[in-house]
Amino acid sequence: MPIVELTVNERPVRVEVPVHWTLIQLLHDGLGLLGTKEGCGEGSCGACTVLVDGRLARSCLALAVRADGTRVLTIEGLAAGDTLDPIQDAFVRHGAIQCGFCTPGMVITTKALLAEHPRPTDHEIREFLSGNFCRCAGYSLILNAVRDAAGLQGTQPR
Amino acid sequence: MILRPFEYVECRTVGDAVAALERGGGDARIIAGGTALVPLMKHQVLRPSLLVSIANVPGLADIDAAGEGGVRVGSVATHWAVSHSALVREQSPLLARACQRVASPAVRSMGTLGGNLCYGESASDPSPALLALRATLRLHGPAGERTVPITEFFTGFYETALAEAEILTAVDVPATPAGAHWRYLKWTPRAQEDKALVGLAAMLVLDGRRCRLARLGLGGVAASPSVLARAEQALEGRELDDATIARAADVAAAEVEPIEDLQGSAEYRRDMLRVWVRRVVSGLAAEGSR
Repeated sequence: MPIVELTVNERPVRVEVPVHWTLIQLLHDGLGLLGTKEGCGEGSCGACTVLVDGRLARSCLALAVRADGTRVLTIEGLAAGDTLDPIQDAFVRHGAIQCGFCTPGMVITTKALLAEHPRPTDHEIREFLSGNFCRCAGYSLILNAVRDAAGLQGTQPR
Repeated sequence: MILRPFEYVECRTVGDAVAALERGGGDARIIAGGTALVPLMKHQVLRPSLLVSIANVPGLADIDAAGEGGVRVGSVATHWAVSHSALVREQSPLLARACQRVASPAVRSMGTLGGNLCYGESASDPSPALLALRATLRLHGPAGERTVPITEFFTGFYETALAEAEILTAVDVPATPAGAHWRYLKWTPRAQEDKALVGLAAMLVLDGRRCRLARLGLGGVAASPSVLARAEQALEGRELDDATIARAADVAAAEVEPIEDLQGSAEYRRDMLRVWVRRVVSGLAAEGSR
C-alpha cells in the first residue's frame, strides 16, 4: 500500500492508504478525524469540504494518494485550544446550526470565502456557499453568521 | 460511498500517460481533478481497472499567451485557475466567465478544463464558450500529436473525437475580436449550482446596429454542445432590429434537436433556447449601439 505524507491541521502525518481510498477515508479511517462529514458522496452537497493547500476540495472525491505532500485543513484545525475561530464563534452566536451535519463544510467554505473576499457582498456569500446544502434550510441564520464573521455592520444576533 | 479497488499510476510526462493507457487497454481511464470520474466510479457506471493520473505532469496546468491575443490553456488547469487567470480575463473573458459558472467553488477548484471537455457532457459551461471562440484542441496519442477544432470534438451524447489512448493536452483559444460584445448565459431552472438547461455563449461584433460577426455556442439543450450555425448566419451582415433577432431565435430553436430528461422536456428546452437567444442577442445589440 502506498504511504502518503501530508500536513493535517499543521501536524505532519504519515499514513498508509489503499489506492482506492478517498481523502475523507484517510481523515476518518486513517487518522480518526471524524469532524468532516460525508453527505452525498458525489461532490454535490458540500458537507465533506476541506481545504487542500488553501483551496476548497471535496474530500469525498479527492483520492487519498493525491494528498501526498499537501497541507490539509479540516474543521478540527480551526479552534486554538478552547478558543473558537471567529467563524465558528459567529455560527454559535447566531444559532446558525440546527442538526449540525452541514456545519463543518459551511465553516470551512466560509474560511475560503473570507480569504478571497474579506468584505464579501451578499451575492458573493450566496455564490460561494451555493455548493453547501443545509437540509434543515437554516440558510438565513448561516448568512447572518457569515456576515458577522466578516465584520460587516448590523449583523449582531438578536 | 466507497470506490472499488483499482490500480493507479501517477505520470510525469504525457508520453508515459499515453503508454500507460495503451497498456491498460480499454479498461484504463485518465484522471485529473476526478470531479466527473469519481462519482461515475462510485455509482459503478464506469469500473476502470487502471487510473492514469496526469494531474502532476509538469507544465500541463500552465496558462500562456499564444500568438496575437490568443491564449493556450493546459488541459489540467482547474476551472478556478482559468477563471482567476489575469491573462484569460483580459484576453478571453467569455471563457473566464463560463469557467466561473461551473458547479460550485470547491468543484471549480478541483475539476479541470480538459476533464470538463473530455467528459463530453452537453451541459458543460466552458464548452459553449470555447465553441463560440472557435478554440482548437491539442490531442496526444500513440501516433503523436494532432489538433482538432472544438467544432468537431463533440460527436454525440457523452461522446468525443478522442481516439483510443489519446489525451487532451491543451486548448488553444484564438483572440477575442476587438470591440466584441459577449455574454455567457446559464439558465438553471432551480438553483445556482444546477447544470445548465440552456448554456448560451454569445459573442457579437457590431457596427452600430449592423452585426459584423456572430458566434453562438450552446450547451445543455441538445445531446452534445454545439455551434448554432444557422442562427449565426441569420444575424451576420444584418441590422439587428427586433424582427431580425426574433427570426434568429426561431432559427436557433429549429436547428437543434433537444434532449429530454428530469430537468426539462424537449419542448421546454426548445422554448427556453428561443427565449434566451432573443434576450441575449437583444441585450448585446443594445449594449453595442449605445
